[in-house]
Parts: sequence; C-alpha cells; structure tokens
Amino acid sequence: MTGSGNNRVDNGGENPGELSGAYALHALNPDEAARYEAHLASSEQARIEAAELSDTAVALGLATAPVQPSAAVKASLMARLASTPQLPLLQAPAAAPAASAAGPASVPPDAVETPAEASAGSVTPTVSPSRGTASERARQRWFRGPVGMLAAAAAAAALFVGGAFAGQAFNSDQFQQQQAAGLAQINSAPDSKRASTTTADGHKATLVWSVERKLSALLVDDLPALPSDKDYQLWYIGGKGPVSAGTFDSSGTGTVWRVLDGSMTFGDLIGVTVEPKGGSRQPTTDPIIAIQSS
Amino acid sequence: MLGLMTADFDFDLESTAPASKEELLGRVARGDEAAFGDLYDQMAPRVLGLVKRLLVDHAQSEEVTQEIFLEIWQSASRYEAQRGGASTWILTMAHRRAVDRIRSSQAGRDRDTKIGIRDLAVEYDNVSETVETRIEHERVEKAMSRLTELQRQAISLAYYGGLSHSEVAERLHIPLGTVKTRLRDGMIRLRDELGVAS
Repeated sequence: MTGSGNNRVDNGGENPGELSGAYALHALNPDEAARYEAHLASSEQARIEAAELSDTAVALGLATAPVQPSAAVKASLMARLASTPQLPLLQAPAAAPAASAAGPASVPPDAVETPAEASAGSVTPTVSPSRGTASERARQRWFRGPVGMLAAAAAAAALFVGGAFAGQAFNSDQFQQQQAAGLAQINSAPDSKRASTTTADGHKATLVWSVERKLSALLVDDLPALPSDKDYQLWYIGGKGPVSAGTFDSSGTGTVWRVLDGSMTFGDLIGVTVEPKGGSRQPTTDPIIAIQSS
Repeated sequence: MLGLMTADFDFDLESTAPASKEELLGRVARGDEAAFGDLYDQMAPRVLGLVKRLLVDHAQSEEVTQEIFLEIWQSASRYEAQRGGASTWILTMAHRRAVDRIRSSQAGRDRDTKIGIRDLAVEYDNVSETVETRIEHERVEKAMSRLTELQRQAISLAYYGGLSHSEVAERLHIPLGTVKTRLRDGMIRLRDELGVAS
C-alpha cells in the first residue's frame, strides 16, 4: 500500500492533514476536497483519521430527530425505479465466503464482497458508531490500493468512462458517483421528461432531461463495445454547431448511460458519434443516435 | 403467557426485521424493488430528519430525500459492507447531498439567513422520536458538551448548518486557519468521546 501512487501535492507549505475535520463535515470546496483526497492517497494514517471522523459525523446525523416523509415520496420513488438504471456490481464472486466473519485479512484487495453475503455472518445493528471496530473498518475502507481500484473500475466497464477521468481510478469512482447523482437529480426533477428512439442497429436509446436543472442523460440498451482506440461521444447539436457533451464507452451488454457535460437547453438535439479515443473537437463521423429534447 | 412475552422480546431485540439494512442494500444492488421499499421504510425518516435539519424547508427536503434514495438505488452496488454499516453509508451520502443543495441553490443562500448558531437541543421534540434515537441524541449531546465553545459552534455550523469552512470563519469572525484547526480538534475530541476509534 505504501509506495504505490505517490500523489504528493505541493500546496504552498500548508499541511493538508489539517483539513480532515472540515472534510468529514463536507465543509470543503471541491478543490480543497480533491487536494485532501490526494493527501489521503499517500498516507494511511490520514485515511484512518478520515474514516473515523466520517463515522463521527454520521453520529451527529443520527442524533437529529427523524421526520416521516409524506407517502407521496415513496410512491413516486417506487414508480421511478423501473426506469432508473443501476450501476453494475463491481464483481460478482460466486458464493463468496462470509469474509467479514473471517476477518479483513482474508479479503483480497479487489474482491468487493456483496453486502448480502458480507452481512450474513455479522449483522450490525443500526446505531452503533461505538462498536470499537471503527479503526479496523477504517483500514478496510481504504484497503483497496490503486491496483485494486483500477481492477474494480475495469470490471465496471459497462459504465460510461469519461475521457478526462479514464485511468484515474481514484477520480473515476468519484466520477461514477457524480454521474449517479446527476441521473438521480434528473429523474427526481418535477419537470423530468424522456424521449426514445432506436439506433440503426435496433438498440433502444432514451434521453431523459430536466429543463429546470439544465441536465440530461442518455441511456442506450446493449450498445456495442468499441475497439480500444475509439469512444462514443455525445454532442449538443444546436444553431451554433455541435458542442461536445463528453465521451463514454460500453461493454456491449446492459444499459449504458451517461449524464451529459454542460448545460442542456430545451429543444436541443442530442447526438452520439464514434470518435477516436478521448473524443474530437468536432464530430468526424455521422451520428449513430440523434434525439430531440422536446 | 410468559413464554409468549419472552418470545416477543427476543424477536424485538435480535431479528425485528427479517433482513438487516446491509442485506437489503445487497438485494437493492441486484435490482430488488421490494428490498428497496423496506430499506426506504427503515431509513427515510432518518434521511429526511437530517436533510431537513440542514435545508429547513420541508418540500425541498423531501425532494432531496427522493434524490438521495434514487442515488441509493443506482449506486447500491458501490456499497461495501466491510467499510461500515449501511446507515453510515446512507447518512454520509444524505449529508453530502443536502450540502450540495445548499451550495448550489439560491434557496440555500436564503436559508442561510435563518440559521443562527443552533444548539442540538433545539427542535428535539419530534413525535417520531424513539428510544434508540433519544439515546443516541443524548450521547452526542453529552459528547458535544465536552468541546470548547468555539469547537462546538464551528462543528454545528458546518454539519447542521451546511456551511463551508470559509463561511464558518466569516460567521464566527475568526481566521480560516483557526476554523480548520477547531473543526479538526473538535471532531477528534468527539470521536474519542463517542468511542468511534477502537
């Protein structure tokens, strides 16, 4: 774990470890958070502290009075599940042993145990940040080194991989979370809308968007995998010509989806082309998908 | 009669729900909608309670709660049981999203003016309070009372107010460097008081 990935960041003499409290409280701006995370990558001690303080923050959260949501919230959520794709399992180990009972050391770095199996042995009751194993969990939390994380990211290849993020496992996971959060925002927006089309190859493509949030995402079923030197690229096609909205790739099976970079305007035509790896400034091929957001 | 009561008692203590939140989350990761519904029933009041503490406005808090649960649905496969409990994962995400909403919206800025330095004790008269939450509340309140006034204020403003550390500095009229130190010292003290570290 030590020695791999020396992400030391020069930050003008300031000790990034100082930021641990603010980080756990989500009180940093994105740049500061990124700086602190770079620091985490290089210090196990810092990772343990970060995990413990994050658990401490959760204790503050558990101390707030519960508030029952109105029934409409659940009804609306349940109705949206079928049309909301899930991130694929990072790995589906066949009948993994109850690793958590056997102890952390028996867990291979990149074997992401599935929660159901993991919890079969030791069921953690709800409110217990005080169970005394936090330090151990803290270690576990960051146990997967860069190699394991890369492997996990590769296993999740069904997913959109943003050109700018590819190869940076640490950020890649964040990117996926950002994408998931973006899609959740679109789907839960009061003005959420969708439109579908079929590609020449017969794959169903759906655009979901919210004008209010200026966000949109494209979902495509079973989009073929591309050679390693190519990417799919998204475009806003408007009066000013095509504007790139990011790249993604596909594993060939399941639903691939990508929240578009930039801001969507009502009526925009959204297109997808196949481009050289990393994307192009302007489309170099004809769109394989084009959907109007109206 | 006695036997029956004992059985009920055991039932309550150990296996109230047929599945733990961790197990439910595992099923959610595989697309199990019923498990999602159960998980929602268990966690939604917690999530909304926390979100509303930050956002104040009820309608907006419900909207953010909905976003959070959709994100749980989408990214359940990213939860790793060995990293901590499901409640921890969910509440960390919930706090993050509430803070995101505050920072991204004008509503957040407006809300800002309503927030003074609020004590934990405030607003704790909710009817849905359970023994479990009351115990946890008292435990945290006691731990908070061990902090210095400045540590306590800084942490409350950041966590319950959703302020960034520079906003905390502005609010308390102290240098940013001091806020960083107070947030860290204070959180470490809390961690020790709450016994989070082993």
